Amino acid sequence: MLARALEAAGIATTSISMVREHTEKVKPPRALFVPFPFGHALGRADDPALQHRVLRAALDLLGEPEGPVLRDFPDDAEPGTQPAAPVQASAVAPAAAVPDDVPAEAARMRGYHDQWLARSGGRTAFGLTGIPATRFRGAIRFLEGFAAGEDADMPERPADVPLPGFVRWCADDLKALYFEGHLAMKPAAAGDEVARWFWGETAAGQLLRRVRDRLDGSDDPQWKAAAFGVAR
Amino acid sequence: MPRLDRLPQINRSTILNLPVQVNDTAPFTPLPRPLAACRVAIVTTAGLHRRGDRPFGPGDQTYRAIPADTPAAEIVQSHTSLGFDRVPIMRDLNVSFPMDRLRELVTRGELGGLAPSHYSFMGAQRDVARIEAETGPEAGRRLRAEGVDVALVTPT
Repeated sequence: MLARALEAAGIATTSISMVREHTEKVKPPRALFVPFPFGHALGRADDPALQHRVLRAALDLLGEPEGPVLRDFPDDAEPGTQPAAPVQASAVAPAAAVPDDVPAEAARMRGYHDQWLARSGGRTAFGLTGIPATRFRGAIRFLEGFAAGEDADMPERPADVPLPGFVRWCADDLKALYFEGHLAMKPAAAGDEVARWFWGETAAGQLLRRVRDRLDGSDDPQWKAAAFGVAR
Repeated sequence: MPRLDRLPQINRSTILNLPVQVNDTAPFTPLPRPLAACRVAIVTTAGLHRRGDRPFGPGDQTYRAIPADTPAAEIVQSHTSLGFDRVPIMRDLNVSFPMDRLRELVTRGELGGLAPSHYSFMGAQRDVARIEAETGPEAGRRLRAEGVDVALVTPT
């Protein structure tokens, strides 16, 4: 749909499609269907050769004399190590002895996250709330209070961002701190392994399950939507 | 994938139940010159933006411009749906936003050049009426004004 709007404005577009069934209906002018899991649009992280093959296949469509054209990327078996859908909290049973001190655990994770930053050249998914990692303990206390049913809020929440939206940002930043910290410890870990560790073995994972429960217990659709984004 | 037949039933249903436009034809702008002379932009629905830009919110049909010289460390993603694996883009922005790969193609002479700005929208939206009628065409006009010939449209 976006490609159609750009094309109508006079831009030649070529799109990467993750859901063939939708692309067949919407009919962007040119689309390459790739058989990769969501989150892997160009194939695989840190694999420039595969990314270039995907790009080349997408750019080749620009030579087609008319459209719409929908072509399949031929390498169906490529990043075959990841499950078709991401591992969700509901699929992971918490370990028998999960720690319960989130602030202490997060402080340790921050050490690993510093290693991540040193290696990634400062690239991080952390930062949606604008609260720096050095002061993130406050956001954790906020999430704990919220999960416990308190009338919790933070002065950092912009006036025009609803409470459940800010809860979601805090949860996303907490996940980023842990996921990237874990990747600093285990650079080869794939997404399913990191998700199983987070939801199964960390105090933060259990906190976010409780945050989800409070959001999901509301009748307000905004709260329920935020719950769906915090843990499933 | 996701070849839908490989997805668990619940994921498959969620995706197939998303409202989707049905069209018979598509607008078509022919490539105005060989690719090796074209200026290319990325337009992504990965919900990316510069650190410090307003994150995308639920149902957000606006867009963010990302100047082409923005360092990768200054780009964050506020599309954080649990429907996709975020580990790949944490490791490598190019998996949805292939700035480095496009630069390499320019260096090799396979593309004419990069646009001054890339553009980013929020994906997985149920209501896209405003993107279709207003913000999508506006981004298209900005791309045209910036001398862009080709947009590579990428999801997350």
